[in-house]
Amino acid sequence: MIDVARIDYWAASGSGLFHRASPPAKIVFLLLVVTAAVLSKNPYALLAGYCVLLVVAAASGLPWTRVMALSWYAAVFALLYSISIRGGFWIRALFIVKAITPSCAVLMLIVSTPYPKIFSLLSSVLPEILAAGLFMTYRTLFILLDMMGNFAAAIRLRGGFSPGSLYKNSANISRGIAMLLVRAVERSSRLYAVMVVRGYNGSMAEAGGIRLRRADWLPILTGMTVLTLVLTWK
Amino acid sequence: MTHMHIPDGILPVGLWIAGFLLMFLAMGISLHRLRNSDQKKKIPLLGAISAAMLVAMSLEIIPIAYHINLSVVAGILLGPALGFLAAFITNLMLALMGHGGITVMGLNTLLLGTEVIVGHTLFYALHRRLPVFWRAAAATMLTLFLTTLALVGIVAASNVDPGLFRDAGEHVVVERGAHHEDLISVSRFASIALSLGFFGWFIEAAITGSVISFIARVKPDLLSHVLHREKTAQEGRQTR
Repeated sequence: MIDVARIDYWAASGSGLFHRASPPAKIVFLLLVVTAAVLSKNPYALLAGYCVLLVVAAASGLPWTRVMALSWYAAVFALLYSISIRGGFWIRALFIVKAITPSCAVLMLIVSTPYPKIFSLLSSVLPEILAAGLFMTYRTLFILLDMMGNFAAAIRLRGGFSPGSLYKNSANISRGIAMLLVRAVERSSRLYAVMVVRGYNGSMAEAGGIRLRRADWLPILTGMTVLTLVLTWK
Repeated sequence: MTHMHIPDGILPVGLWIAGFLLMFLAMGISLHRLRNSDQKKKIPLLGAISAAMLVAMSLEIIPIAYHINLSVVAGILLGPALGFLAAFITNLMLALMGHGGITVMGLNTLLLGTEVIVGHTLFYALHRRLPVFWRAAAATMLTLFLTTLALVGIVAASNVDPGLFRDAGEHVVVERGAHHEDLISVSRFASIALSLGFFGWFIEAAITGSVISFIARVKPDLLSHVLHREKTAQEGRQTR
């Protein structure tokens, strides 16, 4: 389970090189890694890029073991579908590293940047409703995951799962999803109301111009290294 | 048929660029339609439903390789314009989590957005004839059937040999390195997608029906834009 409080703590408390880099530089880093994943035809090259990301994460004081573990969450989907592929090891491996490498870059961004800075950057380029929608989705996702864990425990404790009774299980799960949805809307509305009371009016207080810093060389160089690896290692 | 789990670099560049252009056009229309509404009040609902779609899509029903989407639920609760934006947000986050390629995000948003819009339209069109559960379930079945046909259309338009696509429940996985004799035709692909997809649609329809009927009982104000129209139409008939 992803703990949003822990991610917020990592993002706000670190002082390594990656933390000191500006959010725009880290967005450029993310775009470079995504481009590398898009262009990659060789799983070894992209895997080398993934290792570079982990080395940089470790060297700059990010929680690299957790970043690595969470990035493999994306591999679950890739693994499931790669099993059904007729192609050999090459294509399956490529499928998986194409999933985990951008995921690792996203995680490096969110554990090194407080979320208001990321969303303030997005709100300067996206329409207000989309930027705010992305922000609320991000916050509600973690609330929902937490509620789902509680729901699964509660339904087991109260005998909601009956082995062999597909109808009963399906009905309970459907009602559970509906209840979670209703509660998520309520929690999300409350969160939004609190934000409005505290002065939120559609844009983040952190909003400002795009300013580069001295520490920006690290994310940009890392992104360029991953892209160069993919382009040169055919 | 919610979205294609196609890795980057498989579909022709022209096709995925066209997907992005059409997605931006649809988003422009959605934002234009929302300009006169009180957008800020809808942001929590947009966030909650996009997050619910994300969570639903991360729960795999392994034996049939299907995950529920809640796209019709999103269409019913958010309406077509806001629902399309939810489809974009969901696909953007899914792509960043490695669930489908980044380059196919435009086409995936169009597919998911179509489900949202068609689901909403059918639910509203069926509203006077069926109870809420069956109305939502029927709208879901029809919507998923139509969007599966749209997916087959994308495969046909891609000019990628359909043999490189293989259906896994409602997902489409692209493979490379298949031998020529293994390749299948678009019609064969369509028959596989429609027959295997049926099981997934059935599950999705049952869940959507239950979720919407539960919401109609417990928190009907979430359906107010649909129920309000129904109530207004009934009042109009009584007046006449």
